[in-house]
Amino acid sequence: MHLKITSSPHLSSKINTSYIMLQVMVGLLPATVWAVYLFGQRAIFLIVNCILSAVISEVLILWLRKKPIVIGDCSAILSGLLLALILPPSTKWYAASLGSIFAILVGKHIFGGLGSNIFNPALIGRAFLMAAYPKMLTTFIAPNSINALTAATPLALRKFSQAITLNKDLFFGNVAGSLGETSSLLLIIGGLYILVVRIADWRIPLSLLLTTAVISIIGFRFNPLNGDIFFHLLSGGLLMGAFFMATDPVTTPITKKGRYIFGVGCGIFIMLIRYFSGLPEGVMYSILFMNAFTPLINRYSAPKPFGG
Amino acid sequence: MILVAEHKKPQHDLRAEKYLNPKKLYVPLAQHTGAQSVSCVKRGDVVKEGDLIAKKGGFVSADIHAPCGGKIVNIDRWFHPNLKRSPAIVIQCDGSKKEYSLRAGIKDLKKEKLLEIIANSGIVGLGGAAFPTHIKLSPPKPIDTLIINGCECEPYLATDYRLMMENLEEIFKGIEIISKLINPKEFIFAIEENKHEAVKKINLLINTKKFKLPKARSVILKSIYPQGGEKQLIYAALQRKVPSGKLPFDAGCLVHNVATAFAIYEAVYFDKPLIERLVCFCGDALVSPKNIWVKTGTLLSELFEAKILEFKTDPKKIVCGGPMMGVNLDCLDYPILKGSGGFLFLNRPVVDLRETPCIRCARCVDTCPMNLLPLEYAKLVKKEQYEFLADFHISDCIECGCCSYGCPAKIPIVQYIKIGKKYAPKNN
Repeated sequence: MHLKITSSPHLSSKINTSYIMLQVMVGLLPATVWAVYLFGQRAIFLIVNCILSAVISEVLILWLRKKPIVIGDCSAILSGLLLALILPPSTKWYAASLGSIFAILVGKHIFGGLGSNIFNPALIGRAFLMAAYPKMLTTFIAPNSINALTAATPLALRKFSQAITLNKDLFFGNVAGSLGETSSLLLIIGGLYILVVRIADWRIPLSLLLTTAVISIIGFRFNPLNGDIFFHLLSGGLLMGAFFMATDPVTTPITKKGRYIFGVGCGIFIMLIRYFSGLPEGVMYSILFMNAFTPLINRYSAPKPFGG
Repeated sequence: MILVAEHKKPQHDLRAEKYLNPKKLYVPLAQHTGAQSVSCVKRGDVVKEGDLIAKKGGFVSADIHAPCGGKIVNIDRWFHPNLKRSPAIVIQCDGSKKEYSLRAGIKDLKKEKLLEIIANSGIVGLGGAAFPTHIKLSPPKPIDTLIINGCECEPYLATDYRLMMENLEEIFKGIEIISKLINPKEFIFAIEENKHEAVKKINLLINTKKFKLPKARSVILKSIYPQGGEKQLIYAALQRKVPSGKLPFDAGCLVHNVATAFAIYEAVYFDKPLIERLVCFCGDALVSPKNIWVKTGTLLSELFEAKILEFKTDPKKIVCGGPMMGVNLDCLDYPILKGSGGFLFLNRPVVDLRETPCIRCARCVDTCPMNLLPLEYAKLVKKEQYEFLADFHISDCIECGCCSYGCPAKIPIVQYIKIGKKYAPKNN
């Protein structure tokens, strides 16, 4: 008889890290397919490029750090996919690769690798590209255009030309924008999926969306040119951010109370940037900003022990 | 709190069998919480069933009686599930039997006399912690609610359920004695909803009003783990929180296991000390699971030698207790203690031991029944920063195992917590 001796418990759930990552990817699938439909080859190249760059840099960095080389947890694949989905379709291949490498190297491994990073790697990659290639990252192309006609995103139209996009187009995704953020409907479907299978906690998306909704209602009262509640909820990277970026377990609070604080904080900063800054969109910076507050939020929102 | 696959079939529906004529017994002196008992026999003595063989070793301690008649052949260190090794009295049984007869005038017994009988019968809490019952039955504060715990939330085990199905009247007689002793205003029979057959029987008995009980009711709780944990049970049944570091009587209630109530009944009605108990043997490595009445001190190996239990395949893991909180055994030479409710023999590798980095998903935080932050314990213990553990209230942890169970990174959080508790500086 060869008996194993371990600490209790002697049962464990089937869920593991790669399952979580794969489920998030399943949640992203509708938006990804839609991106390929809208932007064709460009989308496929961008996605494959980002994922490959992320995986290769992950392997190299793990090798340099003399750590076991684990790709099976799918975290690098997910970071690559997320980055691709928040880049404009016209992003050049070298920029996308560079962004992916930066996301894995600086976004993740500088802090100690999987689970130790403070900021969302995909957003770090995009923030880096925003600084390195500002023109490229703010030039969008019209959906379904063969000649890659440039077009402005709905948020940029509102801010710089006071033009309002139809809510119907926003909802079904017939607008210019980053790869994966055009169709609100498909993002909501994917987002609800990861909430239903309990991969992400509902508290952050709910509080984030409610906060933006409330602020946009107030903003619309002051000036109809600010755009109404539907415009703000459905445009830009809000749904992508709320469902897939602000729910990244590693960089968001671990306490239930903390998750509400995180979501509300993101919502406030998003609307502040949309209303008062020189940028049309602020989801990326808001989430990165709140990521930095996560340790502090965790510290002050620790639950009281039962009976304590 | 978590939902765990129950694995209660088929042992749930198997009638209890008996194995009460062992050849040899190894009776450990440490079978309860508190001071170890002191042996009062020596090698070569001949004892009869039920004779006192070890006395209380302190205030919080319990007597131990000879489970069978026979000759004391040795008093030496032997295997012990929780302590690894501990002194044990070895009895070579002679096969003699003792007949127990009904005590006369039970209704007229005074409180003090009842408590004395219980204290002299070596009864301990049979839910797992094995706390001496006579101490629990003389609480320093008034008790308004008595809760009888029939939850058995650990997967696999079916001991309490079988006892309720087969000996419910006796359990109620035991409860009658407990309520006479502590005089509560209300009595609650708490049970999980997956035991509907038992629930029917309990409600029937409560409604007959045959027993002298205070205002009685049954509370049917959700089948989630750890519903049967004392503090979780009190909250679920009464919405009362036991303060951190305090005991149930601080919240005005007292929780007893159904098996303890049964042991009290036997002690008071038949003057029979706690020398045998119902144990559930299950797991996929056995040919068939069984619920068996055995004498305390019987070795697992003897049950296999006597072909009471048989292996289908070689087990990979043997667990004393339930799968969530039990301890692993490294051979079959361990004795059954007063507090052992079950033994598992598992064949398939049930726990993945490859630990990966924590992704801070906070599943452990969401499921912790004590509202703690288990991931922080694992992190701090790995870094050997034991001095910060108290800031995260490590002493409140009940080691239920919910955190490790659900961890996607397969971090053995409970193991880290056990290490942490050992090294955390004690603060008062």
